[in-house]
Amino acid sequence: MSIIREVIKNLLSKPVTIEYPRKPTPIEKDFRGRHYADLKKCTGCTLCAIECPSNCITMEKLPEDVRLKHNPRGLYPNINYMSCVFCYRCVTVCPVNAYMTTNEYRMSSIKEVYSRELTLQTLG
Amino acid sequence: MEDEVVEKATSLIKIPVTLEIPIGPQHPAIHEPVLLKVYADGEEIVGVEIGTGYNHRGVEKLLENNTFYKDKFIASRICGICNTVHENCFTRAVEYVAGMEPSPRAKYLRVLVMELERIHSHMIINAIMAEIIGFDTLFMYIMRDRELVMKAKEIVSGGRVLAEFHMFGGVRRDIDDIKRDRLIEILKKVEPRLKYYRKLFENDPTISKRLTEIGVLKAKDATSHGMLGPILRGSGIRSDVRAEDKYDAYGEIPFNVIVRGEGDSLARMLVRWDEALESLEMCKYILEHLPSGSAVVDERKLPRTFPPGESFARVEAPRGELTYYIQHTGGNKPYRVKVRTPSFNNIINSGFSYLGHSIADVPVILVSYDPCISCMERAIVVDLKKGVEKRVTLREIAMGVAAP
Repeated sequence: MSIIREVIKNLLSKPVTIEYPRKPTPIEKDFRGRHYADLKKCTGCTLCAIECPSNCITMEKLPEDVRLKHNPRGLYPNINYMSCVFCYRCVTVCPVNAYMTTNEYRMSSIKEVYSRELTLQTLG
Repeated sequence: MEDEVVEKATSLIKIPVTLEIPIGPQHPAIHEPVLLKVYADGEEIVGVEIGTGYNHRGVEKLLENNTFYKDKFIASRICGICNTVHENCFTRAVEYVAGMEPSPRAKYLRVLVMELERIHSHMIINAIMAEIIGFDTLFMYIMRDRELVMKAKEIVSGGRVLAEFHMFGGVRRDIDDIKRDRLIEILKKVEPRLKYYRKLFENDPTISKRLTEIGVLKAKDATSHGMLGPILRGSGIRSDVRAEDKYDAYGEIPFNVIVRGEGDSLARMLVRWDEALESLEMCKYILEHLPSGSAVVDERKLPRTFPPGESFARVEAPRGELTYYIQHTGGNKPYRVKVRTPSFNNIINSGFSYLGHSIADVPVILVSYDPCISCMERAIVVDLKKGVEKRVTLREIAMGVAAP
């Protein structure tokens, strides 16, 4: 019993590693990736910010020109992705299913990354 | 005066030089911070002191200060590799307090994730063992095949490492038929690889020369020092919480408890390979016999507070028996959460087993215990006024004696 046969077999086969930045990593569709609130549904109830285990969600005021009927307090959640642990507690605890989930995992940055822009884009 | 003493002396005592070698805290065989102070007489080890405290995070206090729902996510971060078992143990302890019962499908799914975790945990420690003894090719191959298991875990739970799969009263995700078929396909690919590595560990001269008769633990020593898990089973003692408690769906899923009598490092590694193969069979059984019905709980309808009470739960983590004790006096936060991880027993008590071996064997013995340092960190009570350190014994904590 020796590993040499295995080594020769692997020498002749293709590498298993992926050239990551050039080629995408195979990732599941329902992988817990970047998520953000949909302002068409969000009522600003603050439950996600209360329940977040890593305290990364802060409730912010909507821009002054935006008035939403279903959001009387005018608040929306802003997620700090740098301290988010992607447990999806906010997604499952939301009473109106307002969170949009993606499988995007490439979020490394030298600055703090927030969900503000993505959330405000949902206004359409 | 000195001359007088020299003249009167009839014999001279020469103390042999004992070399103190610090192994760690950076990178002592495994990539976690622990300090082994090794005292060597030549090449032979005459004493080992195990120093911890480089990675203490105060998790137990953190658990007391947060609500049960936040605690579930904090508990799973005590250990990265065995996060699901921590999650399962905490969830079950809370379920005992709250009087909840998960559905049969949820129980099967919980076991599926825990067994997938056991496979990849046993694979990684065997890979590290191969790396420690200088067999880097084998390390690369095992890590490559471990990736298949990580993918399986990703399919089930949505995360490669941290599963976040449990919730009080059930699980957070379900699998459909497409996912089930994919999982069975992955397991079919993993099985021949596990069998190959097991055979390699048994027969390869490179491995057997470094591991055989190294760090032998007799059954008597293993029990008297409170060793747990594969270490205990590698010393010939049949002890497995899965078989004893039959928690979750372990009572319905057939499996064997692997026991080997040799007690050396090789026996411990082979117990792990056999267990990984056994876990693979369990995963296959679960996927074929998955009960129908609902498994996912609606987290919006769960109670905010739980009735007062206390509970004790234990699980068989990849490294041994893991226990959680929860004391709850009402409200939404626990009064006390006590975590006893398997590495706490296995590493801190293991100093005696290094004696008599050579310095090169220290990493081999340490890795054969499968240490998880972040699990086992404990605090020392320091009286700042008097500058006195005090170690609190388990008996004192059990009796409720207040620390000074």
